[in-house]
Amino acid sequence: MPAERVIDLQDVHKRFGGTHAVRGVSLSLERGGICGFLGPNGAGKSTTIRMIMSIILPDEGRVSVLGTSALDAKDRIGYLPEERGLYRRMRVAEFLRFMARLKGLDRADADRRIGAWLERLELPGVSRRRCMELSKGMQQKVQLVASVVNEPELLILDEPFSGLDPVNARLLTHQIQGLRERGTTILFSTHQMRTAEDLCDRVVLIHRGEKVLDEPLTSILRRFDPRTVLAEPAQDHAVAERAIGRVPGVQSCGWNEAAKSLQVRLAEGMDPQAGLRGILAAAPMRRVELRRTTLDEVFVQLVGGDAAALGQEVGGD
Amino acid sequence: MRRTLTVAAREFRHTALTKGFIIGAIGVPALMFAVIPLIPKLMRSTPPPLEGRIVVVDRVGRVAESLQAALAEPPERQPWETQDEDVDVRLTVEAAAPDASIDGLRSQVADESLRALLIADRSEEGAEQVELLVPSTGNPRHTRRLEEVGRKALVRARVARQGQDYGQLQELMKSERVRTSRISPQGEQATERTELRALVPMGFMLLLWVTIFTSANYLLTSTIEEKSSRVMEVLLSATSPMELLTGKLLGQAGVSLVMLLMYGGVGLAGLGALTMLDVVRLSDLLWLAAWFPVAYFMVAVIMAGVGSAVNDLRDAQSLVGPALMALMVPMVLWLPIVENPNGALAVIFSFIPPASPFVTVLRLTAVTDPVPAWQGLLALAVAILCTLAMLWAGARIFRVGALMQGKTPTPRELLRWIRVR
Repeated sequence: MPAERVIDLQDVHKRFGGTHAVRGVSLSLERGGICGFLGPNGAGKSTTIRMIMSIILPDEGRVSVLGTSALDAKDRIGYLPEERGLYRRMRVAEFLRFMARLKGLDRADADRRIGAWLERLELPGVSRRRCMELSKGMQQKVQLVASVVNEPELLILDEPFSGLDPVNARLLTHQIQGLRERGTTILFSTHQMRTAEDLCDRVVLIHRGEKVLDEPLTSILRRFDPRTVLAEPAQDHAVAERAIGRVPGVQSCGWNEAAKSLQVRLAEGMDPQAGLRGILAAAPMRRVELRRTTLDEVFVQLVGGDAAALGQEVGGD
Repeated sequence: MRRTLTVAAREFRHTALTKGFIIGAIGVPALMFAVIPLIPKLMRSTPPPLEGRIVVVDRVGRVAESLQAALAEPPERQPWETQDEDVDVRLTVEAAAPDASIDGLRSQVADESLRALLIADRSEEGAEQVELLVPSTGNPRHTRRLEEVGRKALVRARVARQGQDYGQLQELMKSERVRTSRISPQGEQATERTELRALVPMGFMLLLWVTIFTSANYLLTSTIEEKSSRVMEVLLSATSPMELLTGKLLGQAGVSLVMLLMYGGVGLAGLGALTMLDVVRLSDLLWLAAWFPVAYFMVAVIMAGVGSAVNDLRDAQSLVGPALMALMVPMVLWLPIVENPNGALAVIFSFIPPASPFVTVLRLTAVTDPVPAWQGLLALAVAILCTLAMLWAGARIFRVGALMQGKTPTPRELLRWIRVR
């Protein structure tokens, strides 16, 4: 029996005036697990998510969520939009109760779940406070509660980590993992590659409105060979840099101040072991290390033409 | 439906049960009702006494002697003035020779040694005329009293020159007030107040206008707030744009209805206290009930559409402006419409939205010239069709505008939003 499709997009297009924001994206997500939806700003992530949520309609193509339209399944979906928003003057409990009522919960059930989630997200005593009195991080956690209060089958998180401090980011990561363990299917968009790598079972990469990658994380890391070598020279790094730059199969070599090492990029098709040997032979080294492929690198490799834009994206993470 | 009602309940609660609404929409009007009877008392004041000398240059004859008698006459009063507000006149009247130098007397008026100079003369055509000269710092109420006295003195002089008795003539010419009473279909008699009857249609129209505009304005600001605080997308994740818009419209309709019942109830109670309840016909109330939802949804959907299209209240003004201009028509033209409810102006505006509900209510509640019922029904049918079209267009603008940020759309862009799939 085929697994149930939680999200099913078939050749979806969306245009805004002269801008073709989403170009023929197809996506099929089965029940369970976490799918990272990656891409630089303006890639079409939020537009695709809004179409999945039936907030906007596609110009072409078909969108099905939980076997129906998202409009009919809104009570079974949780959504944390990229643009965070709360009624500023409303009290936290009242806002969450309002959202829970919209999702079909009765008052007693809503209050019970709201209390439990506020505790889980370390927000004790905020229920009587007005939303505008909360810090940005607290507001973000309140919004997360609003998106999960209905215990959704599908949870869509659009940039859930943006603006969170490391402590709260870790707390949120644990909660997302907890939801996955309880069987919630999660689609979350981010440009924080590290977070995606830690959390996702599967990665979908979208660039300029087109899907450029869609496969399990383990398969991606296997498929994209390591190509970056960190080399700590035993002598002046400028001399070593020139020497390594002349090694056949080295695409680029530059000093990485943060790592206090030379960062060497090997050319496509170059055997990494041969590359390591070449570097060691070129100059005396204290340490030479072949770095594990990261999503960052996969990302840069796949959308390399936009290095400047991506540099900003990745650098901001 | 559940989502729509949840949105409506929140919208109602967060408008009608707030301090701002209770103070602004209930407290202030209640205070005004309480203060209105006190306004005449609060405005009442006793002017300072009119003292000094008045010189009369009488070139007509017998005016100077008549002036003293005119000063002794009780002053004319406006309906709201009482005897306490009469000017206390303590003037000394001096008669100057008919050929006395006016320049000298003028300079005495200028330096205020003379309170007033009254010159009774004939024009080139032979008509009698009175010129009054007073200092520039003179109290306006003193001046009005002196004008009245001068006018009366001239009449008294004229009567005296004819050898008639002024007191007797005045008695003969005394005009008695006609006491008019209305008899209701039930046979009850009540004092007729024509000016109040003319105000009843205005009252109905204002009732509709104020209650609808107050809640439509709340709708505009709440929609803008939801956009600017970015809560709109959170709401749209749980509801469809149509459910959200419908809920907001219904919630504010409740607010508007509460105000209508409250203000209308107070108005009817006031008429009852004046034993004038019969000036409001049952048909007026039925027309109001029929037009209220049409007028509300027509105006409210404009405000909701504009609210969803802009990012702040200032931007909203430019888009709401044209609609507001049309809606000012009944406010500006209420008197000609009430006086001639079957005139071309009134009939034309009965079919032009968004002014039509307000103009038609003015026409239908006017008593001067009954409006044929078919016209009222036809105007209602046209307005319902227009409202449905506006709801459709407004919903489409709302759907696109709710998630739009950035510059305010032009009217052409709004038209494009209506056509967007």
